[in-house]
Amino acid sequence: MSSSSYSSSPCAACKFLRRKCMPDCIFAPYFPPEEPQKFANVHKIFGASNVSKLLNEVPTFQREDAVNSLAYEAEARLKDPVYGCVGAISVLQRQVITLQRELDATNANLFRYAYNEMPPLRPPPPPPPSAAGQSSGFYYPYQWNDPSDEDNERSSGGNM
Amino acid sequence: MTLKGGATSACAACKYQRRKCIPECLLAPYFPADQTKVFQNAHKLFGVSNIVKILRSLDPSQHAEAMRSIKYQANVRDRFPVYGCLGVIRQLYYQIQMLEEEMHTVLTQLEMYRQHHHHQQQQQQHQHQHQISSMADDVISQLELGMASSNNALPLFNQVTHQPYTMQNTYSSSDIDSPPKDNVENNSLWIQHLFFDTNNHGTSNNDSPIAIQSQLLVPNSEPLADTQHQVVQDYDEIHPFFDSIDDRQSYIDTKDAEDSSSSEESLKETTQLMVGNVGSKDLKSAAACFSLASVN
Repeated sequence: MSSSSYSSSPCAACKFLRRKCMPDCIFAPYFPPEEPQKFANVHKIFGASNVSKLLNEVPTFQREDAVNSLAYEAEARLKDPVYGCVGAISVLQRQVITLQRELDATNANLFRYAYNEMPPLRPPPPPPPSAAGQSSGFYYPYQWNDPSDEDNERSSGGNM
Repeated sequence: MTLKGGATSACAACKYQRRKCIPECLLAPYFPADQTKVFQNAHKLFGVSNIVKILRSLDPSQHAEAMRSIKYQANVRDRFPVYGCLGVIRQLYYQIQMLEEEMHTVLTQLEMYRQHHHHQQQQQQHQHQHQISSMADDVISQLELGMASSNNALPLFNQVTHQPYTMQNTYSSSDIDSPPKDNVENNSLWIQHLFFDTNNHGTSNNDSPIAIQSQLLVPNSEPLADTQHQVVQDYDEIHPFFDSIDDRQSYIDTKDAEDSSSSEESLKETTQLMVGNVGSKDLKSAAACFSLASVN
């Protein structure tokens, strides 16, 4: 194998892994050498082999989006090792619930005003954070049930 | 995995790795043997070594929360292989944006209704205050006039018929000759007529003060205010005249000056007072009566 005709620089993944960057390198299109930290984060949290397997299961035209989402999740997990990007999801979900309740109250107010000509009421205060039912106060919006398991994950104490 | 001596079954992690699940297994509390799919998802995304690495970097008190988030993240990635949790976050951002826009629209509509309601209230208050002020002015004028007695009206002023209470038709539907609006002096006389007339009828008609009020509600309030003041002034001047003229009413109408027992001086005073309130034509007729009387 001659490397003299090899002109292209290795991708960030191959550089990090200190291996030869092949033309059919699966990482090369998505981990340019100008962004070394991107692969470093992804490799630290998920591992190169796992990322490679994930990318192989995804259609080619969606691999870039998959890599970008993995890079985002890896960076979030490095910043917050306990919750990672799930912390942001919990905060946003609470915000949605609060906004929905305020909107419902305001709509009810508008209805009363429009049809009864009565002065509008103030919207109710937001509920206490304990409504999520979690010990940590985090809210997991997506419930995931293991189809192969008899027990749901409730036994492990998760709203997942 | 085979169990020895009745030991607890291996956790899903150890079972997958086909190794002995030791009591100190870090993953055993979070991956029970019956949740194999959950472990597979976590292992597929993170890998056992990476999960253990994360747990070892944390305080033991944080392990439970960290494992929950790891399992959640892995399950979402299994559900959404391309976008994972980032897709969920984007979805939530979009939801929030839609809710905020809808809230803004609803609040705008609510503000429109509030302003409309407030404007209507202000109009009603303004009308109510206008009514109250006009009624208050009328009460004040009555108090200042001080006419509460049921004194019989003079024939001179008794030609006016009682007018029923009408708020809107002070001039148009009146049986009384409506005064010219430009002549303030005549207005004052006309108002006096009405007042005495209602007093003649006494308290039989409870609407008498209201009738007065209705008559006083002229289109132009300023001329009326001047007229009311003029009424007060004129009435102060008239009051002693009424007291003194009671015995002499028949004298003026019937021209029976011979029956009167009063002195000429009192008659002169009477005529002087009458001059201020009566027109020139009436003055001449009155003077004719006196001249005839004096001759005899």
